Amino acid sequence: MHEDCMKHVEHISEFLDGELDEATCEEIRAHLRDCPECRACVESLKKTVDVMKRCPRESVPRDVKLRLRAALRDCVAQGASTRP
Amino acid sequence: MNQRATTDEEHRLIQRFKQGSPDAMEEIVGLYEEGLYNFGLRMCGQREDAEDIIQDTLLSAFRYLKDFREETRLKNWLYKIAANACFRKRRKKKCEPDYELSLENLVPGEGAAGRYDIPDWNEDPSENLLRSELKSVIEEAVHELPPIYRMVFNLRDMEGFSTEETADIMDITPQAVKTRLHRARLFLREKITERYRKDIPHA
Repeated sequence: MHEDCMKHVEHISEFLDGELDEATCEEIRAHLRDCPECRACVESLKKTVDVMKRCPRESVPRDVKLRLRAALRDCVAQGASTRP
Repeated sequence: MNQRATTDEEHRLIQRFKQGSPDAMEEIVGLYEEGLYNFGLRMCGQREDAEDIIQDTLLSAFRYLKDFREETRLKNWLYKIAANACFRKRRKKKCEPDYELSLENLVPGEGAAGRYDIPDWNEDPSENLLRSELKSVIEEAVHELPPIYRMVFNLRDMEGFSTEETADIMDITPQAVKTRLHRARLFLREKITERYRKDIPHA
């Protein structure tokens, strides 16, 4: 990868997250217009973040929920009994 | 006087908990248990460890909630406790060394445009098998991240915390959050492309 590309690649996540000032964003946009490799890099990174975010969460298993609540009840009861 | 940082919902629940309402605790648990469980699962990889993380976090939180001054969001405070629980668990296991990811190793060489073929997440129920394969590819890739990068990625991209909030939860600078997040994303892109090609040849 060219040195010029590396300079921009370093800031691509900040660019995607809207965390760069407008002048730097414009500099990156201008570079992307002329550089198909960096365009592909931005697109694939955007897609990576998207696919990760859309991957569904696990539900908390029922037995884990039950054990958690039992432990919390004990903890609160102990706290109440030691309170002056 | 300090400015309250909790949301109105969190503030009401905390007040009710302090007044001794048993329902308030259940409602707080209901709000955050799934997020914390998934955070623990992605950080530690094992269901038993995720259960320990969620228990340690909430037990510790309810022990000290009566003294909580609401200078930060309740959610952020819980994740700070959870992040420390993950670090403690890792220290106890004495495995998974942290190492730095170098940017040079994560970007393609010249002429590599189009090398990354990242699959789309398909919501079509008939694609269930493909989705579960992709889910396990993603989970493995996340687990291969060195822990300090994995935590930044989990807090920023999966739990939706801002750069500043993540920095506060992890006690690092916002610049360190940005650098680690970028490298984590590049690493995951590499791993997903690699695994997706290897594991799902029909895709």
